[in-house]
Amino acid sequence: MSENSPETPGRISLSQEQKDELVRHTRRTDLRRIIGGLFLVYGVVVTLMGVLDPAADTAPTGGIHINLWAGASMIVAAGLFFLWDRLAPVPAEDIVASAEAEEIKKAEGEGKLD
Amino acid sequence: MTLADASSIRLSLTWVDYLLLIIYFATVLGIGIMAKRRVKTSMDFFLSGRSMPAWITGLAFVSANLGATEILGMAANGAQIGMSTLHYYIVGAVPAMVFLGLVMMPFYYGSKVRSVPQFMLKRFGKPAHVVNSIAFAVSNVLIAGINLYAMSIVIEAMLGWPEWIAIIVSAGFVLLYITIGGLSSAIYNEVMQFFVIVAGLVPLTVVGLHRVGGWGGLKEALLNTEGVSRLQLSTWQGTGIGDVTNPIGANWLAIVLGLGFVLSFGYWTTNFTEVQRAFSAKNMSAARRTPLIGAFPKLFIPFIVVVPGLIAAATVGNQFADGTLTYNDAIPKLIQMYLPSGVLGVAVTGLMASFMAGMAANVSSFNTVFTYDIWQEYIKPNMPDAHYLRTGRWVTAIGVVVGIGAAFLASQFGNIMTYMQTLFSFFNAPLFGVFILGLLWKRMTPAAGLWGYIAGIIAPTVVWIAYLRDESLFGSATAETMYGAIYSFLAVMVVSVAVTLFTKPKPLAELKGLVYGVGTIDVKGDVVAGDAAWYRSPALLGTVALALCVVLYLPFL
Repeated sequence: MSENSPETPGRISLSQEQKDELVRHTRRTDLRRIIGGLFLVYGVVVTLMGVLDPAADTAPTGGIHINLWAGASMIVAAGLFFLWDRLAPVPAEDIVASAEAEEIKKAEGEGKLD
Repeated sequence: MTLADASSIRLSLTWVDYLLLIIYFATVLGIGIMAKRRVKTSMDFFLSGRSMPAWITGLAFVSANLGATEILGMAANGAQIGMSTLHYYIVGAVPAMVFLGLVMMPFYYGSKVRSVPQFMLKRFGKPAHVVNSIAFAVSNVLIAGINLYAMSIVIEAMLGWPEWIAIIVSAGFVLLYITIGGLSSAIYNEVMQFFVIVAGLVPLTVVGLHRVGGWGGLKEALLNTEGVSRLQLSTWQGTGIGDVTNPIGANWLAIVLGLGFVLSFGYWTTNFTEVQRAFSAKNMSAARRTPLIGAFPKLFIPFIVVVPGLIAAATVGNQFADGTLTYNDAIPKLIQMYLPSGVLGVAVTGLMASFMAGMAANVSSFNTVFTYDIWQEYIKPNMPDAHYLRTGRWVTAIGVVVGIGAAFLASQFGNIMTYMQTLFSFFNAPLFGVFILGLLWKRMTPAAGLWGYIAGIIAPTVVWIAYLRDESLFGSATAETMYGAIYSFLAVMVVSVAVTLFTKPKPLAELKGLVYGVGTIDVKGDVVAGDAAWYRSPALLGTVALALCVVLYLPFL
């Protein structure tokens, strides 16, 4: 992030390059991608369990292929998270504004009670 | 909390289930490390730099409350008292969350306080602030310990780990990811945990309902179970004043006022563990939407927590009756009976994650209050910010260690759930009374705040001691907490008004933005792109949530 930005209180500006890097980094670690990734892995593992051993799948459930259903649902959920992330990424101006506000606070010596 | 003998709910996990568990906890640590890169100031560590979007803080708001005692306790209630458990969600939680978002959040977020005790400081001054900060810090470490202990006995029963190993491993894990990533780490994990617990409990409910023959079959099975009355399928029957036959043992007025108004408004609007999630939102609009967005999942959680409790009552009710199982075993028992390896791993991961999230929420709010409200205010003021960031990390470690101590202490007590409820009636109900009066009445003096608050702590304590000496006073321990909360609230009102009449109020200039009608709060000053969308209007979200409350009661009158 903007480690080297000048410490002038009240007015902090980031270069375009810093802004782009900030936006890229923030979007890369978007929580929706992490949850989507986790659900994708879970969905695949659980579905495989259902495919490889259908008998074990239905024995305790009274006939429902719960691993197949749950696995497929989790894969769909993962897709929805990725889609959501893609269609509505965090607005670039929000990321930059929040980072700049943070720099200003730091420069002012945030941490004292008023 | 008591569970059955370890063996009766022991799960047989395969390596695949353990793999799912390990993947989850590796992700949790990854999030902690990722969040660390953003932690540069104490504000980042304690309030996530106030940078979170509303959907994240909203889900974290619900998740922070979705700990071990909540999931197992509410399923236990479902098994024991039936659909009346819905009151906890519909009368109990949602209206209070709507009230927080629409009415109280502008005062909280607008006054830029960093903790709930700090609001106490601004409105009522130092004496009330000291009492409130200490009460919060102490009760929260105790509750963290209770959560930790509850988690350890569940892990022991389900996985066969010895209790002390379960306590140390889970406490160590929470310590690791909070000290590394601070509140951001806690919040991100709460959101992820929310989805995993849903992914575990939905299949459980689906299979359970299938096994008992659908909703109709469930009703029929319940009516044929010994010790289950017809009233357990309804929510409001048998709650007439003077004609109390419902399983809670309280009339409708006590339910609405005690549970609905005082207890839950107290819990959801003043418990910093919850409210902190909204404080970390990126602007006023997101802060107000936090509890409102949280209200929607909250409305549907009973269908994957309380309904499994009912299914357990219908299928293993005889084992509850003869003492083989306790009500707290409802969900672990169903998991053991109904879930095959695979989904089983997801469900166990969801439970473990929710236990840790509950404790992490306590620890992350404890370290904020201790560092900002006690350390910075009274012990070491005016230090550079890095000092408070460092203090926060140390306090987290100390909080976890004391929590472990409290967990071993908790293991000495029998019924933990009731102690928790009682703690809330001691500490949250009076705080709500003081805040609501202070928000509405500008004449209320600082001294009134202090003495009203203290009276509100003493009143439920007296009620509780009276109940311990003579159990015939109230229908059930739950009913006691409701009446205790009502007496606490009344004590606050009477004492505050009396003290106000004889003491000096704060000058109006110092009350701007802290009291209704004194100065104005700018709720639109920090809007960002997209906040103006019609579906993001707090009033609309709140109204829809309340309408859904009514609709959800209809099938279960």
